[in-house]
Amino acid sequence: MPDARLWLLWALTTLLAATAARNPLYLFLLLLVVLLVGVTTAPAGRRRAALLPLRFAALAVPFAALFNGLTAHLGDTVLCRLPAWLPLLGGPVTLESLAYGAINGLALTVILGAFTALNQTVPVRELVRLAPRAFHEAGVVLAIALTLLPQTAQAVARIRQAQAVRGHRLRGLRDWLPIYLPLLVSGLERALALAEAMVARGYGAVSERAQPLPLRALLTMGLLGLSGGWLTWLFVPNRAGIAAGTMVAGGALLVGAMVIAGRSTRRTSYRPRRWGIRETMVVLGCGLALAAALTGHPSLAYAPYPRLSWPPFDPLVGLGLLGLLTPALVNGSGSEGR
Amino acid sequence: MIRLERLTFTYAGASAPALQDVTLEIPAGAFVLLAGPSGAGKSTLLRCLNGLVPHFSGGTLRGRISVFGHDPAGEGPLALSRVVGFVFQNPEAQFVLDRVEDEVAFALENLAVPPAEMRARVTEALDLAGLTPLRDRLLETLSGGEKQRVAIAAALALRPRVLALDEPTSQLDPQSAEEVLEALVRLNRELGLTVVLAEHRLERVLPYATQMVYLPAPAAPLLSGPPRQVLPHVPDVPPVVALGRTLGWDPLPLTVAESRIAYRVSLIAYRVSPVACRRLQRADRRRGRGLGERRSTLRNRRHVTRNTQHVTRNTQHATRNTRHATRNTQHATRDTRLTLRGLCFRYDQTPVLRDVSLEVAAGELVVLMGRNGAGKTTLLKCIVGLLRPQAGMIALDGEPLVGRETADICRCVGYLPQLPDDLLFADTVAEELAVTLHNHGLLDRPPIAPDELLARLGLAELASAYPRDLSVGQRQRVALGAVTVTAPSLLLLDEPTRGMDYAAKAELLRLLRSWQAEGTGVLLVTHDVELAAQAADRVVLIEEGRVCADGTPAQVLTSSPGFAPQISQLFPGRGWLSVEDVLRGWETACR
Repeated sequence: MPDARLWLLWALTTLLAATAARNPLYLFLLLLVVLLVGVTTAPAGRRRAALLPLRFAALAVPFAALFNGLTAHLGDTVLCRLPAWLPLLGGPVTLESLAYGAINGLALTVILGAFTALNQTVPVRELVRLAPRAFHEAGVVLAIALTLLPQTAQAVARIRQAQAVRGHRLRGLRDWLPIYLPLLVSGLERALALAEAMVARGYGAVSERAQPLPLRALLTMGLLGLSGGWLTWLFVPNRAGIAAGTMVAGGALLVGAMVIAGRSTRRTSYRPRRWGIRETMVVLGCGLALAAALTGHPSLAYAPYPRLSWPPFDPLVGLGLLGLLTPALVNGSGSEGR
Repeated sequence: MIRLERLTFTYAGASAPALQDVTLEIPAGAFVLLAGPSGAGKSTLLRCLNGLVPHFSGGTLRGRISVFGHDPAGEGPLALSRVVGFVFQNPEAQFVLDRVEDEVAFALENLAVPPAEMRARVTEALDLAGLTPLRDRLLETLSGGEKQRVAIAAALALRPRVLALDEPTSQLDPQSAEEVLEALVRLNRELGLTVVLAEHRLERVLPYATQMVYLPAPAAPLLSGPPRQVLPHVPDVPPVVALGRTLGWDPLPLTVAESRIAYRVSLIAYRVSPVACRRLQRADRRRGRGLGERRSTLRNRRHVTRNTQHVTRNTQHATRNTRHATRNTQHATRDTRLTLRGLCFRYDQTPVLRDVSLEVAAGELVVLMGRNGAGKTTLLKCIVGLLRPQAGMIALDGEPLVGRETADICRCVGYLPQLPDDLLFADTVAEELAVTLHNHGLLDRPPIAPDELLARLGLAELASAYPRDLSVGQRQRVALGAVTVTAPSLLLLDEPTRGMDYAAKAELLRLLRSWQAEGTGVLLVTHDVELAAQAADRVVLIEEGRVCADGTPAQVLTSSPGFAPQISQLFPGRGWLSVEDVLRGWETACR
């Protein structure tokens, strides 16, 4: 499933479900789903990294349980008492507060798992390409910046080594100067070289012309409307309706300007996004999970207070959450590298 | 057709023009070798062809340029990007995306080429550059030669009529460079693409060039024409051309194959042509030999050439044995500076060095060669403690180095990394040396007076210059000064001649020789086989982390086809590596 939009939808749905659910049974189910999707869709050689959330859970769950146990003194099953003079910590430590902390840790693990799977499968550049066409130039700049980040990290390591062979030792902040200066200069040189290469390859050839006057007028009016409405809402009492209307109109003008600007940006894509049965299935799966998470079913909002009890489980909700498994089910090869 | 008429270009703020009054014609479909020393204006000339000069660089341009009917100075680089494909020295510096196919398609996406046509063009460009099997690969997983071919494919996707390349093989090993050049020759011959290629290592490109343009110095008049016409006026030429010039071979051979024919013809010609003998005589005189001493030799040469096959076979043994004997004697009497025993190193689970053992004696220059990724740089990093080997022993003058801090080791070991710019950050050349002394706590009692070292490096007059303003060769020498100011007993140099012209290389060689004479051991990593043939006392060949050959240059270089210098290819099995060896060998035979 190479389409970044679908992955984004899947990750956001998982995020919503993990935020909505406090029932550990559903959270366990979500964690299993996320791990399964991560492992089956990660490129070959990165499958072990897809299990990273488990290592996170080993730390996050006990830490969250301990933190909540020491700070939230609710629940009937008192395990021990800390002296009352201890600020924040003083009071009973209950089984319920420990359990609730652990549940929060589990929810965090699910969210991390979803974004780990997203990160493993979709290159950041693909996500940047989701930006509207009007922001194409900004998207390219961001994509290059993302490429330069690992290169800069490599340059730091290289320059540190080069300075070490001159007897340089890193002891304090001032010792970073021999690393920072060559890094800055080489970074600038690299940026210039890249700019020269991009110009030589025709980058910017189709966006040289200035934006037409109506578009600029539209942008100006939109910005004026938005800021004027906001100022009215802030400083003119009893004019909230007018303020809201002005802001909506300004926003609409801005969106219109962006659509027009996007249409005037001539650009094609080497990897056009295609819609097929797999993509539809993922959307349906996410829709199912979203419906299950947002129905407000009482079993979702489980709370261990005042006394810890076995959480309820509704098979229909569970089945709905299993909709998030669709990326794993429709995944073709899963071996494509990033 | 490319036409430059009275082109003069001066960079903004420069006192003198980089190009002056250049008039040049390049016919369509030509394969042009652009040669000349560093700073002569090769890169500037190339950038004039696609309008990067003056549009990107700034500066003042006078004169006229026409590239297949386009005016780069007027139309600018964006318009010319469809006519002139440009490939830079470092492929990594020009990559925008991370996957082969995406990188090739990048320019087409920006030009809004329809997707169907784009796919066809990408496929065509990958096919032409021989990259079809690698189209899905990530760029970071490719070798240097493959990356440079991706850069070429990215330029080809725009279907240009001219391909301009600025030293595209300078960072590649001989095999990778050959891959790139073969791709260019295919494009030139099969598609009629005009190729204009700037290069220092003429021996790599001369076999393919139909036209040579030589820029002798900034603002000096250029020489242009078929290589055979231009080469006699070029001071530094590849060994087979130098031999041909010395012996008066006509037509002047450009390749080893042509030299073989010229050599066979000369065997007959010596018998009938006194001119050839006179040329030999002149060559000897240039080498500082007395005419009287030579006369009998020259007389004898006629006899020798009649029996060449027999005599040279004997000579070969004699030369090889003499070299062996001399080197073995030297080796036995010298102290061992560096000892490596059973060195193993792995990155994660990938073995990079496997059981490497070698020695460098005092005053010995050992050249370490091998393909990109063979483990050469890793070996040097292990020696100076930047990487910790998993097994093995490293000792300097008998003292173990493993476990010691890099800063501590580098007081006795000078290590020059591949990119000298990573070392330089001070405001002046003199300060660069002072920083190293300060780091080692030697500022008050320097082992060598910094002024003396600067004079020795030929940098005395540049002591107050900003290091990054200097030329490639000068920056390399500043970096060398920064790592040798502690008077190390061992020098490790990682590809110090990348991007250097012949003069800068000769200067570096002179310096190394002077350090050797003082007992400094030198371990030099290079891809430059001619430099290895010229400089090495011993050559170590490393392949996939293992030492696969260790011996005299004559033994190692002549037995490794990928690393054989031109002279050894011309006279296989005779142990000759340079023009001097050939002349000396014949002289021995004449005696």
